[in-house]
Amino acid sequence: MLKGLVLSGMLITAWLVVQGVVFQVAAPRKAFASMLACFSPTVPLYLLLYWLSPADLGFLSPPLTGTDWRLGLANGLMVHVLVFLTAGLFYSHADRSITVRLLIVLAQAPRQRLTLAELQRRCGVEVLMQDRLDIMVQNGFLVARGDRFWLTAKGWIGGSIGWAARKMLRMKAI
Amino acid sequence: MRGLILAGVALALLVVGSTVALRLYRGNKEFKVFLGAFAGAVGLYAAAFWLLPADLGILPPTSREGVPAVDFGNGLLVLTLIFHGYWCFCYFSCLSPSMSVMVALRARGREGMSRAEALAIHGGGQPVDLIFQRRLPKLIQGGYVGEDGGAYRLLARGGRVASFGSLLKRLINTPVAG
Repeated sequence: MLKGLVLSGMLITAWLVVQGVVFQVAAPRKAFASMLACFSPTVPLYLLLYWLSPADLGFLSPPLTGTDWRLGLANGLMVHVLVFLTAGLFYSHADRSITVRLLIVLAQAPRQRLTLAELQRRCGVEVLMQDRLDIMVQNGFLVARGDRFWLTAKGWIGGSIGWAARKMLRMKAI
Repeated sequence: MRGLILAGVALALLVVGSTVALRLYRGNKEFKVFLGAFAGAVGLYAAAFWLLPADLGILPPTSREGVPAVDFGNGLLVLTLIFHGYWCFCYFSCLSPSMSVMVALRARGREGMSRAEALAIHGGGQPVDLIFQRRLPKLIQGGYVGEDGGAYRLLARGGRVASFGSLLKRLINTPVAG
């Protein structure tokens, strides 16, 4: 099992370095698509490395190599994909968090102090929704005609998932 | 394999438990419900791993990991990664302003929505929009922001979060603040 985890860990580390360079150099508009494009080759690479490398990778002790190889392969692949999805979520936290944005705006203000009106002007709902509507149009969830927005098929699926989750979970939606 | 099976069972219980707890919870700190459910699931997973036989009565010898610590750690890692995804999914589905727009548009059908109507969903045009109504009291209670003569001032704790957030934004090369 550890063989798959070690190989996945190495590939994830390499992907993070490459992705960091891509973000700095190219600043892609569709960040998740860029992440997916850079990550995708690591999946066949993982399978190839798993196939070609010895069971002990040259350094694992015998008790760590006894599990069925198919289980080790599948487990490593599952963890590999889960770590990628987690990285995507961390990107989303860093890029979209409303609370962090609010704190950064306060940190950049003179004497780190703003009135409510100033805060709302700089990171209130009008600024936020402008960004979000543009992102949703850009990512194909909405289509804009004039000043009005409609759901695309992809947006309708997203909205249905949100509707079902809100019915089930009963969290306080803003 | 034992770790993965037990992690799967713990996750299923976590989802059911947190769903029920959220329906009963009346406060506005839902993260405590999620963290509580996660702590319970980890405790249950660890206890089951400790108490149940290595083959769980069903696993063939080839499916058994030679080192229990690796099996345990692997199951815990999978449990943690999926919990994080589940937590984010719940927050995004229920609290995201973008999702609110999509849910509202779904209910409207072919009518669509103007920019002003999208703003109105979140209290745009009100003295205090809904984003601030929800977040500012939490930031004040948590010691991140203080009220200071009719204004809001960043406290040391909030400053650390802002610094870390700025660092992350520089790493992914996204505008630090609008």
